[in-house]
Amino acid sequence: MGMLDNRVAIVTGAGRGIGSEVAKLFAANGANVVVNDLGGAVDGSGGESGPADDTVAAIRDAGGNAVANYTSVADYNGAEGIIQQALDDFGRLDILVNVAGNLRDRMVFNMTEEEWDAVVAVHMKGTFNTTKYASIYWRANREGHYRLINFTSGSGLHGAPGQPNYAAAKLGIVGFTYSCANALGRYGVTSNAIGPGASTRMTDTVPEDRRSRGFDEDSETTVDPRRSPANVAVPLVYIASEASDWLNGQVIQAMGYDIGLYNQYEVIRNLSGNERWTVERAAEEIERVFKPAVEGSRMFG
Amino acid sequence: MGMLDGRVAIVTGAGRGIGAETARLFASEGAKVVVNDLGGAVDGSGAASAPADEVVAAIRDAGGEAVANYSSVSDYNAAEGIVKDALDNFGDLDIVVNTAGILRDRMVFNMTEAEWDAVLDVHLKGHFNLTKYASIHWRSERKGHYRLINFSSVSGIFGAPGQPNYAAAKMGIVGFTYSCANALGRYGATANAISPGASTRMTDTVPEERRREGSNVGDSSEEDPQRSPANVAVPLVYIASEQSDWLNGQIVGASGYELQLFNKPAVIRQVRGTERWSVAGAAQQIEELFKPAVGGGGFYG
Repeated sequence: MGMLDNRVAIVTGAGRGIGSEVAKLFAANGANVVVNDLGGAVDGSGGESGPADDTVAAIRDAGGNAVANYTSVADYNGAEGIIQQALDDFGRLDILVNVAGNLRDRMVFNMTEEEWDAVVAVHMKGTFNTTKYASIYWRANREGHYRLINFTSGSGLHGAPGQPNYAAAKLGIVGFTYSCANALGRYGVTSNAIGPGASTRMTDTVPEDRRSRGFDEDSETTVDPRRSPANVAVPLVYIASEASDWLNGQVIQAMGYDIGLYNQYEVIRNLSGNERWTVERAAEEIERVFKPAVEGSRMFG
Repeated sequence: MGMLDGRVAIVTGAGRGIGAETARLFASEGAKVVVNDLGGAVDGSGAASAPADEVVAAIRDAGGEAVANYSSVSDYNAAEGIVKDALDNFGDLDIVVNTAGILRDRMVFNMTEAEWDAVLDVHLKGHFNLTKYASIHWRSERKGHYRLINFSSVSGIFGAPGQPNYAAAKMGIVGFTYSCANALGRYGATANAISPGASTRMTDTVPEERRREGSNVGDSSEEDPQRSPANVAVPLVYIASEQSDWLNGQIVGASGYELQLFNKPAVIRQVRGTERWSVAGAAQQIEELFKPAVGGGGFYG
């Protein structure tokens, strides 16, 4: 008996890294899995069937059910085919995990248009594309414990200085997740975002002196079991299960052996007026009330 | 003596609404202003020079200095021209206010690719485009007290169900703002995001029962002075001034007569392990520790 018996999942970016570990652990817990991976390089270029096929073979060798899909999630029309494959091969769709991503790191003043577009297209539009077609199915079949699991990052939550495109895309995914949480709850869908921490080929591009901060606690190599992407997959099994109906619109941290819950945005200081503020009074009050609240607030790195 | 004497600002989307009020108030406080507006419809279609021209005329009539610019902020190359307009006409650039935006509201399961792309292009890429070229100038000059003022929205912060594209873009802007705050501080630039609340032609598209919630306080009548976009402009003068060096990487709410400071993402519950969690162990910990914490979480709408 697995926690995901008879459930059907799509995992994007499942050829390598966190996505591959999620697909394998979901299958080990009873899920039928569509293993989607374009098989491209970290920067999104290229494509090959090998990575998705490798994950499918590993799942089948372990006695699980999986099929491969090689579509880019950035392709709006291709995304419909990913959902269709789950329905055709496994007869339903319960869980969508949007892991697929790429990186094009550059400081904002040096970033090219192409670097911006490539990252936003895969992360943000890719997450929208698959979610749109999954939500059409979920809305038409309302009996479920459906799960939308998106991937954000400490880079967006805290603002990595060398990743303006990735930071924008990853916090944009949180806004999208919140919107979906509020829109799709009535159809039996929960929407949550994962903030992962692990060593994969994606973090290998981060300079070593920066890997020791933020989400990356240890600066050691992937040999350190604490930094294995397999750790990130563990809490996702529960979130993907029928038991997690209560969890919706949240950001969950899965980093090493730690599992965390993020806060929600809220107003922490409020100045109420009875008429339009004058420029001078607004300035005085902002300094008096907001300044003590932001001093010492944590920045990235 | 104005709070912005001698400073040069670009305000995008300054032909109407919040952008126009910001441009006028900045000019009355002594700033020289590039009034950028494509002059399009709320959905981004069309273009006209009149909205920007009218704001420039109003500023000049009041004794201020302004020039008009009609570029679309979503045009990467044209964004360089907006910055150049500031340098050519006024010899410097101290403040960028990214107000320009459009709406294409639709539930996620009905949203078209064009609706997604259009909103992401103007809001998110528009923010990047202008910021990139402004930051090149700031990095080479390093005079200090530079201000990047971006526009977020409660639609993203809390997740408006009928605006998956706008919610994603507006939280993406927060992630981008955090990244810029961490990247550009060393060059004397602060980066903050505004969450506005006012009645403009953009909120006229929101159903009335929803306008009463979220950002839109009080009565929905445009004549209500509490809902005037002029209120939003007031705290921006202080943020744009040389006095606000301490304010960086924050979301500031400006809604009606309220001035607000938002919290930042932080982990509020955490389960720490010494080895990889078992699936069952992680499930138990998440239910025990996180469920009580999200129980009363308020959702949008």
